[in-house]
Amino acid sequence: MNFSGSILLVDDEGHIRKFISLLLRHLGVKRIFEAKNGREALEVYHKERPDLIMLDVNMPLMDGIETLRELKKINPDCVVVMLTSLANRQTIDEAVANGAANYIRKDAPLEEIGRALAETMDTCFEKDVPEPGAPRAPET
Amino acid sequence: MDDTKTSPSIDLKGRRILVVDDDRVNLRIIGGILRHEGYEISEAASGEEALEAYAGHRPNLVLLDVIMPGIDGFQTCRSLKKTYGDMSAPVIFITAKSEADDIVMGFDAGGVDYLTKPFRPKEVLARIRTHLSNQLLVEQLSKANAAKDRFLGMCAHDLRNPLSSIRGLAELMNENAVGVLTDEQREIVHTIHGASQSMLQLVNELLDVATIEAGHLKNIEAAKKNTRIEMVNTTANPMIDIDRNKIRQVVDNLISNAVKYSPRGSVITVQVNEDESGAGFSVKDNGPGIPDGERHKLFKDYGRLSTQPTGGEKSTGLGLAICRKIVEAHGGTIGAENMAGHGSEFVVRMPRSK
Repeated sequence: MNFSGSILLVDDEGHIRKFISLLLRHLGVKRIFEAKNGREALEVYHKERPDLIMLDVNMPLMDGIETLRELKKINPDCVVVMLTSLANRQTIDEAVANGAANYIRKDAPLEEIGRALAETMDTCFEKDVPEPGAPRAPET
Repeated sequence: MDDTKTSPSIDLKGRRILVVDDDRVNLRIIGGILRHEGYEISEAASGEEALEAYAGHRPNLVLLDVIMPGIDGFQTCRSLKKTYGDMSAPVIFITAKSEADDIVMGFDAGGVDYLTKPFRPKEVLARIRTHLSNQLLVEQLSKANAAKDRFLGMCAHDLRNPLSSIRGLAELMNENAVGVLTDEQREIVHTIHGASQSMLQLVNELLDVATIEAGHLKNIEAAKKNTRIEMVNTTANPMIDIDRNKIRQVVDNLISNAVKYSPRGSVITVQVNEDESGAGFSVKDNGPGIPDGERHKLFKDYGRLSTQPTGGEKSTGLGLAICRKIVEAHGGTIGAENMAGHGSEFVVRMPRSK
């Protein structure tokens, strides 16, 4: 995936950050920032201005939807992909209504996560067009 | 009849009973007996008064005289059932012993039992106790069931995230994301991947149970409005390649919509269709249909129409737009037509995968 931008990964669970960040690196993303909650995310966003934000929904202190609203206040054009664990319709509706570009289920197979990311970059960044489709052949 | 004393295990004190009789003397007699037993009583002297008292007092049980001036007991009962659906309190009719036909008609109108005049206090109390106990048990059972679903959902949810990480990390290691593995390491990673994968599947199946049961919420919503959801051919099992969860979301959205805009007491039909080129389903409602000239707004973001939900529900105007996006992502189509007469039909079609 030839995405040259930076990604801010926000999730309160360390193992999820480990997993998603390794996946991102594997997909070729060079600059990855991490935050454990919404407040930290806003701080990192102010300082680093990442191109894309992957945002968990259920977090303590400040949840994903609230963080999304705050991020959109700072920059209405920021690209946010929600990380969900249960694709709950109400949450997705709310995220979309608040300007999320896409959502990804954390329990989706690797290729699906990759595909969803590529799709988002495809629609949100005109110059950085990543290769469409799965980043790898499925294992047999 | 003394064995009424042998079932004191369920405490029914304070349960609310609405007594409806145009005969003041009867009201006083029954009211006295029931108050003495610790029930909370409200009274009404006519069907009209009863409907009003019901709305204000929300009784757990209704004692309803059949013959009254104005709307009679049967009509009052039907009206309660129509307004409150399955959630309405059980109704016991009060009838004279000679009126055998009344008993049958009472059951038809939605009553659960009857009492004949003149009253025998012990019989009155025994029957009331039975129905109040039943009602209380159903109430407790549904609460316990909801708690179980919440627990199950939470449990599965808290297991799923770590399992997803374990599986994903194993998969990444297998792809040499952290360096080339030796044969033995690869075998171990395979084992971790396989084990976490099957656990995840198990948990997902568990969670599906919870989701499906959460789907019953829809049915409860529907039950509140006394709307019936009829499934036609839904056991058909067309082989098409879909994202189950997303298509479930579409079905869910369309049914919610149908419930939302249908009048109380109507029927919603969900039908699965299949042919060589593809498969899909339709949801038919008895709502007001799509207003002329507003069709273009139907599947757009925030495309709220002038039509109003019939039960005061909320609408974000996003549901159908999301349905369209999901269906189109599957290479399919979604459309809506007004049906001759009344109501509308939403049709989803998806192509067979090649």
